[in-house]
Amino acid sequence: MNTPKKRNFKIEAFKHRVEVDPKYAEKTWKVLEHAIHEIYNHNASGLSFEELYRNAYNMVLHKFGDKLYSGLIATMTLHLKEISKSIEAAQGGLFLEELNRKWGEHNKALQMIRDILMYMDRTYVSNNNKTPVHELGLSLWREHIIHSENIRSRLLNMLLEQIYRERTGEVIDRGLMRNITKMLSDLGPSVYQEDFEKPFLEVSASFYSGESQQFIECCSCGEYLKKAERWLNEEMERVTHYLDPKSEPKITSVVEREMIANHMQRLVHMENSGLVDMLVNDRYEDLGRMYSLFRRVPDGLSTIRDVMTSHLREKGKQLVTDPERLRDPVDFVQHLLDEKDKYDKIIGSSFNNDKTFLNALTSSFEYFINLNGRAPEFISLYVDDKFRRGLRGVSEEDVEAVLDKVMTLFRYLQEKDVFEKYYKQHLAKRLLYGKTVSDDAERSLIVKLKTECGYQFTSKLEGMFTDLKTSQDTMQGFSAGQGPEAAGEGPAIVVQVLTTGSWPMQPSAACNLPAELLPVCERFRAYYLGTHTGRRLSWQTNMGTADLRVAFARNQRHELNVSTHQMCILMLFNSADRLGYREIEQATEIPAADLRRCLQSLACVKGKNVLRKEPMSKDVGDDDAFFVNDAFASKYYKVKIGTVAAQKDSEPEKQETRQRVEEDRKPQIEAAIVRIMKSRRVLDHNNVVAEVTRQLQSRFLPNPVVIKKRIESLIEREFLERDKADRKLYRYLA
Amino acid sequence: MTRLTKKRRGEVSKSMRLTGSNDDVGFRALIEHELHLNAALDHFCIRDQIRALARRRKLEQLFQRFKEPHVDMILANGIECLCRELQVDPQDIVMLVLSSHMRAATMCEFSRQEFIDGLEALGVDSLETLREKIPSLRAELKDEQIFSVIYNFAFDWAKEEGQRSMTLDTAIGMWQLLLTEKCWPLVDHWCLFLQARQEKAISRDTWTMVLEFVKMADPVAPHYDADGAWPSLIDGFVGYLREGGIFPSS
Repeated sequence: MNTPKKRNFKIEAFKHRVEVDPKYAEKTWKVLEHAIHEIYNHNASGLSFEELYRNAYNMVLHKFGDKLYSGLIATMTLHLKEISKSIEAAQGGLFLEELNRKWGEHNKALQMIRDILMYMDRTYVSNNNKTPVHELGLSLWREHIIHSENIRSRLLNMLLEQIYRERTGEVIDRGLMRNITKMLSDLGPSVYQEDFEKPFLEVSASFYSGESQQFIECCSCGEYLKKAERWLNEEMERVTHYLDPKSEPKITSVVEREMIANHMQRLVHMENSGLVDMLVNDRYEDLGRMYSLFRRVPDGLSTIRDVMTSHLREKGKQLVTDPERLRDPVDFVQHLLDEKDKYDKIIGSSFNNDKTFLNALTSSFEYFINLNGRAPEFISLYVDDKFRRGLRGVSEEDVEAVLDKVMTLFRYLQEKDVFEKYYKQHLAKRLLYGKTVSDDAERSLIVKLKTECGYQFTSKLEGMFTDLKTSQDTMQGFSAGQGPEAAGEGPAIVVQVLTTGSWPMQPSAACNLPAELLPVCERFRAYYLGTHTGRRLSWQTNMGTADLRVAFARNQRHELNVSTHQMCILMLFNSADRLGYREIEQATEIPAADLRRCLQSLACVKGKNVLRKEPMSKDVGDDDAFFVNDAFASKYYKVKIGTVAAQKDSEPEKQETRQRVEEDRKPQIEAAIVRIMKSRRVLDHNNVVAEVTRQLQSRFLPNPVVIKKRIESLIEREFLERDKADRKLYRYLA
Repeated sequence: MTRLTKKRRGEVSKSMRLTGSNDDVGFRALIEHELHLNAALDHFCIRDQIRALARRRKLEQLFQRFKEPHVDMILANGIECLCRELQVDPQDIVMLVLSSHMRAATMCEFSRQEFIDGLEALGVDSLETLREKIPSLRAELKDEQIFSVIYNFAFDWAKEEGQRSMTLDTAIGMWQLLLTEKCWPLVDHWCLFLQARQEKAISRDTWTMVLEFVKMADPVAPHYDADGAWPSLIDGFVGYLREGGIFPSS
């Protein structure tokens, strides 16, 4: 059988024996080598780029890449060695310029060589994991120029010297510097860092360490800081001009460390120019500088803050404990406010309104204001003074500003309840005697207190206002109901009806009113009780004023404005020429201390002595006798007879006020304990104390010992019991 | 011993449980009543009642002997007589122990019921037996728990009736009595401190806590924790001791 055999076809490739000239590689390389020489010798204009490229291409194609590559290295190395020699030969300042020039040339040559050998770069280099031509050129430069023994240290020294010269004020070629540092960076970040940056930072550190030593010895703190700031700016500028941007944080941190961090304590405490001095003299600019410099270093701001705080506390302590200051409460508070303003301004303008500084300010004020137990009283007196005099004719905004300032001081107080107590007294006097400058301002402050401390705090104060308003209406109703015949004769009265409890007055026994007054008082009583059943009225004769028309001898007529008590005394002289002290006391039943004061005011004050006393002396004795002073004369028709001021709060009285405050606190503490225990049922001692303190701190700071006593009292009254097993636990007994 | 059927034995033990008597008495009662349980029980109860009545009568006589002529109570005079008979000082702490057994409501007073029930509970029916009981009563104080009970009893016993707290003088007296018994080394300091403080009265809480303090204070006082919720009087005492250099200050 003739089975056709399968035959495999094979198409032979066209074989064209290319005779390779054995000398081919050698020849071609010679051409290229020559070209490289020409390039380095600045003769490249005569070269044919196309031809050279083809030659290089062919060499790589014919597997002579190796030869080409190693030849390139050898040729370049040769040239770099020459270059290195010429750079070494450059004298002094020319060294850097020469280096820079050669670097430029090398780069240009490298560019051309890379273009010629582009094919090698693409195939041979990448296939054989060699360094590409450009990088190769850089690394050879690094090896033979930068790292050559004679150049390496010289370069570094030259650079550092240039920088030093610039630091000391000389002008240097910044362009050259920029090129050199750029070269170092181009050679790789490690070259820049190792060969320049590291030593640069070290040298800078020792430079600034020396400078700072020198300056701190002879400069004031302000000057030193100015210098530090300038240096810092200079270094940053230097970086932007001729250093790698990455160097900025490093060099600034060197300057910060050497100039600031290492001398922080010394600067702050520098005598006569340190922080305290700046604070005292309001040197906002220096303070601002200190703040912005110190914030750059760790613990910088806390250093400033601590010094400021301790200075402020010290000063505040002096302020509040200085016995001289205590004489004038208004001045005392004004000083506190000034101090607060001062520091507000410093923190605002120099310390960037830093929260932590503001907190430090608050805590310092809280600390020292409470060192003086009379601070609450003084603040109330300050407000009293403002409302009586200080705010007259002041615009609404300014009034608000003053009140807001008072409120900040108020917030610092721990014993807000003491303030309330005094404020109530002072407000009552202002209201009753119509002494307040502006009702709106009064109300505004009460609203502020209410926002701060809640309804409870101000309810009684508001009650006082309401009473006065109601009294006005009542008086209108009363006089309308009187009819014209009653109004014509006899004395007229104006009554203010005060709710017991809202007003701080202690109920006192009424004195005997003159008979002339009794009918009208009785009418008012009947009128008032007729409209308000179930109420009780009692006269507070220790308050109030009266206008009396008096005819002295020689037809001298005057209208005297006197207190109610004084009026009662004077009325007695309608029916007698001479009255002894005891007679007066018996007739009026005014308490002895008040009576003496009234008589003193009537008989012993020059120019207002409507009575004459025998014997003539400053004090009123039990056996003294009184006459109408017929010789009384005044150029005014209306004469206001004051009341000799009572002795200022004497020690026992102060103690009594204190005791009353303590007594008032007891029920508040107990109420808080019961509230807490009612919701928690079982709670341990320390938590009860903490919780009570928290609940009450808007009014006062309860003393833990007092809280404990209240707990004991509650246990005794069986609101609470102690746990049988754990004595620290309390249980609520429903 | 008589042989008992199983049923009988059950009844015997039941009767013993009911009457609370011991084996012998139970058996004897049972045998006497021809092992008739109900009768035995009746007998037992009656006999017991009789015995109790006899004892009560004796105690009644004892009470009559000491009671005030016109009041149905033993008061100071009677107690003095009783103490004389017992050869015990009226100030002796053992009288407090005795009072606590009688559940006496008030110091220096025994009502009829307190006296008779109390002595009956002690198993005493004559002065002699009571005198014999004294040492064991005294020994009870050594027991910490019983001491606490007696200590707390003392507050109600010693304070004036109707008052919440105890007057300072009474409290000092009672503390001297009780805490000396407890061998508290600081008892004199404590009393001096109280007199110096002029505290008016001692609350029940303070009274109770003082014993707690005495129990723990002596050796560990330097570790005294002022935040430890001690009554403020005790806080004050520790401050006083530290001031006086008796405790090292913390």
